[in-house]
Amino acid sequence: MKRMIISLVLLFSAFTTVFAADAPKADPRTMTFPELRYEIPKGERVVLECGMPVYLLRDPELPIVTITAMVRTGSVYDPAGKSGLAGLTADVMRSGGAGGLSPERMDDELEFMASSVESGIGIDMGTVSLASLTKNFPRTLRIFADVLLRPDFSENRVDIARKHLIEGLRRQNDDPKEIAGREIGKAIYAGHPLGAVPTFESARAITRQDMVDFHRRFFRTDGMILAVAGDFDRTAMLGELNAVFGKRAASGPPALPEIPQPAQVFKPEILHGQKEVNQTVIRMGHLGITKDSPDVYALRVLDYILGGSFTSRLTMEIRTNQGLAYNVDSRFDVGRRFTGTFMAETDTKAESTVKVITLMKEIISGMTKEPVTDLELKSAKEYIINSFMFGFTSPASIASQRARLEFYGYPAGYLEEYRANIARVTKADVLAAARKYLRPEAFKLVVVGDAGKFDKTLSAFGTVRELDLRQSNP
Amino acid sequence: MKRIWLVVVTVCLFGTSLHAATLEEKVVEHRLSNGMTLLMVERHTSPTVSAWIRFRVGSVDERSDERGLAHMLEHMLFKGTKTLGTSDYAAEKPLLDQIEQTAQLMIAEKAKREKGDKARIAELEKQLAKLEADASRYVIKDEFFDLYSKNGGVGYNAFTSRDGTTYLISLPANKLELWAAIESDRMQNAVLREFYSERAVVMEERRRSTDADPESKLWETFVASAFLAHPYGQPTIGWMPEIENLTRTKAERFFHAYYGPQSAIVAIVGDIDTKATIDLVERYFGGIRPGGMPLPVTAEEPRQAGERRIELVAESEPTLVIGFHKPAIAAPDDYVFDVITMILGEGRTSRLYKKLVIEKQIATDVGVFDAPGQRYPNLFVINASPRTPHTLTEVEEAILAELERLKTEPVAERDLQRILNKIEFEDARRMGTNGGLARNLTDYEATTGSWRYMVGYRGKLAAVTTADIQRVARDYFTRENRMVGFITKKGGEDK
Repeated sequence: MKRMIISLVLLFSAFTTVFAADAPKADPRTMTFPELRYEIPKGERVVLECGMPVYLLRDPELPIVTITAMVRTGSVYDPAGKSGLAGLTADVMRSGGAGGLSPERMDDELEFMASSVESGIGIDMGTVSLASLTKNFPRTLRIFADVLLRPDFSENRVDIARKHLIEGLRRQNDDPKEIAGREIGKAIYAGHPLGAVPTFESARAITRQDMVDFHRRFFRTDGMILAVAGDFDRTAMLGELNAVFGKRAASGPPALPEIPQPAQVFKPEILHGQKEVNQTVIRMGHLGITKDSPDVYALRVLDYILGGSFTSRLTMEIRTNQGLAYNVDSRFDVGRRFTGTFMAETDTKAESTVKVITLMKEIISGMTKEPVTDLELKSAKEYIINSFMFGFTSPASIASQRARLEFYGYPAGYLEEYRANIARVTKADVLAAARKYLRPEAFKLVVVGDAGKFDKTLSAFGTVRELDLRQSNP
Repeated sequence: MKRIWLVVVTVCLFGTSLHAATLEEKVVEHRLSNGMTLLMVERHTSPTVSAWIRFRVGSVDERSDERGLAHMLEHMLFKGTKTLGTSDYAAEKPLLDQIEQTAQLMIAEKAKREKGDKARIAELEKQLAKLEADASRYVIKDEFFDLYSKNGGVGYNAFTSRDGTTYLISLPANKLELWAAIESDRMQNAVLREFYSERAVVMEERRRSTDADPESKLWETFVASAFLAHPYGQPTIGWMPEIENLTRTKAERFFHAYYGPQSAIVAIVGDIDTKATIDLVERYFGGIRPGGMPLPVTAEEPRQAGERRIELVAESEPTLVIGFHKPAIAAPDDYVFDVITMILGEGRTSRLYKKLVIEKQIATDVGVFDAPGQRYPNLFVINASPRTPHTLTEVEEAILAELERLKTEPVAERDLQRILNKIEFEDARRMGTNGGLARNLTDYEATTGSWRYMVGYRGKLAAVTTADIQRVARDYFTRENRMVGFITKKGGEDK
């Protein structure tokens, strides 16, 4: 290696002038590119004998198969007083054995094949995923199906999972960022299941039977969609899937409990958590929109301009111009089934806390006062349209994208028309959306930091409610 | 010996040769006459491409009066060039020079500490703010980002470690020339404008990533205490007073000394034609004059001669880190450590997970990894969080007992085979994303001297014997070679 470097340096002195005077180079500001027409890849939709929709996308590049099952469930269905049930159920579905295979044997078998089967439950979707080498797929699929449909919920693993949840609660106030993230969610969704978080009491109240019941209620072959991608033979795959999922089950229609949308209440609140740290964590926001809002495209453009990029207004002023933060951003998290949020966040040294909060609110308010500039609009639209293809870079992401659209009931043609819908957004649309959906005067504001070192007191913004960060240490 | 032979045979039958050969076939290598290394892989899964540039310069290459500089420079190289990021460099330049003079005067005055002239500092601060405001009239903020972004670039970022500095971007495949134009300009003509406001950003980054997070703070102290002589002990971001004393002059010297084609490893992976890509890269980078390489770090960490215990008292539940000094990547014993890492810490069948989390239930999680760098001798690290009411002592004892077991009890054949199977899967999977493959290619080329490290890796691990594992465990897992770090809860029962 060393010898090679020396010889290359010698070569250089002989040839440098030749290269330096070489071919033309383009100016990044004005350069043009060959056209790239991009068709969104489609998976094939097949319905299994049991009625389950499956999105298949075959790609033999790697000798690997991946599957994701998307299941109609969610932590939003945690019963009152049992927050954390969905998460624990997902944990023990995988860790507690399934189909008569003990936890230890399942772990051993899967890891010896280097296969993985994992489960999780989010707010409004449960997932069980599989990844394996093609040669180990048939056996991995059997275990995957057992975890999905026939988990055993070993009592011992139920106990361990519950203890882990409790230990996590003991540690939930160690990192100021974690405190702020949790508290802003609780404040925005106060009074709604989306605002509920596990507590020591709820964790202790959860029993094995609760998990068995939760699983039985939601994990049914008529309540899920599969995304399958990778190296497989189509006929063999459909045969395998039909073999593990069987015929249509004779159970009644799935009864997803009705959960109302969060009440559209916009009332400001100021929360402070005391931590002796040299940097303050700041979160602010309120309710946002669902995917069914016609304004979703205007808000995507607004996001980019306000706080969704390195050249956004928030980053430009607070980070680049004033050096007050490393990270500052904002975003409409568009809800799929339930109303989402608008949230802005940053962290700044204790001594600039109030200054930064004031600046952020001003910048956000600015969006509601004047139209964005032509240049801002153009840059945002170009980014969203030109980077669209990065949503589809692997067979697995394409198949699961299609499955997700059906799962959440997106309209047909959503992806195909997405770029055109973005292209149609005008400055007037962005201003109207900002005025309709941004209400800085009604922000929930969460501030975690050392109040004694703040530049001014938080009461400048209104009445401050102090968070109790002591852990009852049960 | 017979058992090990069987393992080797299995390797050949089931795959390594197949997939490793695939990687070997797919990578196209090209070296420019100025020393730049170009590695390419064609993948036509989507019309996208990832381009990574790894400089063989990291925080380990800083002098003692410029710590934090590699990372600071990483930020500054986003600020543009003589033609990008500015509307009129000729007009801007004199102001940048005045800013630098003023900032240096201020740093010098502040260095006098309590003897410093407060009024003078305030005056200089005012001057600096005025000059920065004047200069900013010529700045086109974050123009690199803007150009990439409107062309559909995603993931434009950079990171600095002890071992190196990497710039990355993914683009629609038809836009690769934009990358070549911007990056070749940056390599030759970077202008470190807006230095002092960016330094404030880096100070906020330090507060965010380390100061305000107890576990990160413990980690920083732990690593610093493990290396008394070797620069691996220094945090890459720098200690706060070191960041406060960085200047544009220092950053420019560092940049011009090391960040040329001679230290650059470029990986371009995606929907490309390798021949056309070589032409493109030659056209934009071929004429760049090479500079020097940082000298290898000569400091050697003296052999540790007794356990070091590090305590952090914090508003946080207890946590534990245990470390042992070990050799650099690709050293013969390093492969043995990789096997040990997987036996102890990889997955739900790993020994520490089974013992601490499932069987004894004294911890909620346990991790095993090596840090803080790879090019030089580093640490084998185990971390775990005790589960109340179990104590740090119980967790520490249980971990040490598992390390003792490695010294005396031969590892089962099935455990070794499981590791090889896992690597077979990882060898396949790493080919599945442009960015992941570009990362691996640049990383191993830089730290081991060749990306082919990946090709030979599984065979190296297959050659590790149970006797090797026992010998390494006995040699390295000693009290003398051990670091222990822990958090004690402030106001907790122990204090």
